[in-house]
Amino acid sequence: MSAVLHAHPESGPALGVDAGKRRKVLSEAGQRGRWWRFAAILIITGIVLVPIMVTVLLAFTPGPNSTATGLTFENLGNVFSKTLAATWLKNSLITTLSTVVVSVAVAAPAGYVLSRGRSKAVSGYSLLLFVMQSLPIITSVVPLFILFAGMGLVDNLLGLTIIYVGSTMTVATWMMAAYFDSIPISLEEASWIDGCSVFGSFTKVVLRNSLPGVLSTAIFAFLLAWNDYLVAIVFLRSNEIFTLPMGVQSFFQQNATDWTSVMALAVVMMLPPVIVFATLNKYFSVGGIGGSLAGR
Amino acid sequence: MSSTTTQSGLARARRGIAPGGSGTVPGKRRSKLSAQATRTFFWLLLPSVVLLVLIHGYPLIYAAIQATHDGDLLQTGNFVGGQNFATVLTSPAFWKAAQFTLWFTIVGVFGSWLVGLGLALLLRTRIPAGGTFKVLLLLPWVVPIVVSSTAWNWLVATPDSLIPSLFRNLGMGTPLFLADPSLASITVMVFKVWVSFPFMMMMISAALASVDTTVYEAASMDGASRWQQFTQITLPLIARSTYISWILMTIFCVNDFPTIYLLTGGGPVNATTSLVVLAYRTVFQDFATGPGVAIAFLMTMTLVVISVILYRQIRKSSVE
Repeated sequence: MSAVLHAHPESGPALGVDAGKRRKVLSEAGQRGRWWRFAAILIITGIVLVPIMVTVLLAFTPGPNSTATGLTFENLGNVFSKTLAATWLKNSLITTLSTVVVSVAVAAPAGYVLSRGRSKAVSGYSLLLFVMQSLPIITSVVPLFILFAGMGLVDNLLGLTIIYVGSTMTVATWMMAAYFDSIPISLEEASWIDGCSVFGSFTKVVLRNSLPGVLSTAIFAFLLAWNDYLVAIVFLRSNEIFTLPMGVQSFFQQNATDWTSVMALAVVMMLPPVIVFATLNKYFSVGGIGGSLAGR
Repeated sequence: MSSTTTQSGLARARRGIAPGGSGTVPGKRRSKLSAQATRTFFWLLLPSVVLLVLIHGYPLIYAAIQATHDGDLLQTGNFVGGQNFATVLTSPAFWKAAQFTLWFTIVGVFGSWLVGLGLALLLRTRIPAGGTFKVLLLLPWVVPIVVSSTAWNWLVATPDSLIPSLFRNLGMGTPLFLADPSLASITVMVFKVWVSFPFMMMMISAALASVDTTVYEAASMDGASRWQQFTQITLPLIARSTYISWILMTIFCVNDFPTIYLLTGGGPVNATTSLVVLAYRTVFQDFATGPGVAIAFLMTMTLVVISVILYRQIRKSSVE
């Protein structure tokens, strides 16, 4: 907890005559503590990341029937040449990217109405969205399975995408609304006085200034669609329609699990979210959905 | 997008004009804009409403029908009233799953909160390469659950896996993490905490970032100990965000399927079967649609209550 005390010793106004002296003492203690805290966080992070390091290491370790030594890309090559990995990757990319685009396209306008509308109907809809996002997806999955079976949407990437959009759109709408709340109405007022329509001010003024909000919503939709397992296991039947989570899991149906291949595919699967997070982390730093809910 | 800026945005929105609301745009112009706004709002909201009805509304009604009928996935049978609910509520499997779900949720919520809080406080201090650690520690939450459960499986599943071997070499026997019922329950919960703590860490970090550090300086001048500062300043300041994250995490834990299913499949001897896993198995493995949907329905009821409470709380505190 010394931590909290020394967080920003240089910030804040002088608190009294001995503020300067006290600050110096604080920062010296802070200097000593820094390296202890560094060691602590290094060890904790090391332990926490063991499962991930193991995955990466095994993915590049020669398999049981391999003649290679040291680290190798052989597993990666094998998994793409001997399994349907490329198809699964393509399926995952198609479903996820469509989900992201459609989710944002549906959530942004709805979020705008939630943010600007001041009527009973709008706040009622806001509550409805909120309740729906907390419901177990298993409740909807069974009826949707029957409905989609009749429409030929089972074992079909379009069917999967529709469900993903439906389940991301509740939280995505809240996230967009929370972001729009932070954009001052005075900007829109100016455009209305210039003769702009409400729709015009939404697209030209509000949406144009909402890139961080859109990105944060897009990342949320991306993670949900890319990582989903429950909807996939219910709706996908045939190998060539599998998305990556189903593909990775299908390796476990054999008697002896080929760990190096599984891990190679696992690395392929975790790369996109890790890259997205590493580059766009700042847009999601408020805790994503939590942040947007907390903001309202 | 901290809650403070959002709230000032909201406050401004309330003070200023919103289309369709009261405001400063004079007379005619306003009513024209207001009518136009209502029309535009309708069209902007329409796609969202259609999806909500299709993906959430319709299934909920259909689920209510299925829960009160016999029959299977292919054909809804005859109306049986509350019989499916009676079957479910009198079966030991349901209560066992409910009990496991309860423990899983309690450990998941508080375990991830404690770990997240500790790390958020540590990361708040000046640490060399602190930003890098912050990103690295988010990985368990970012990495797909299928990937991490695969890795955990490799680490603990068989007696020859890495961690059981480690225990053996330390002379502590060979724990069967996924084969022993109570150890499997613990393993699943530890796995859940591992997956969820980054979310808590992010929530708490965001809340801590808006705390003015001079408060602590003033408190330490007044002779407050670090523990007193923690309990009397830090905790109250993050209370709102903590409350929200607890309820959200409760919803995440109760609804969680893959964390449990991928690691243990609900076994051994149903020791780690949660309500979602039980509902899934009842419908898709035992083909008992009615009872399966009834279980999902009971969960739904509980979660509606929890989320309405949360919604009220958020509304109340954002008006303050």
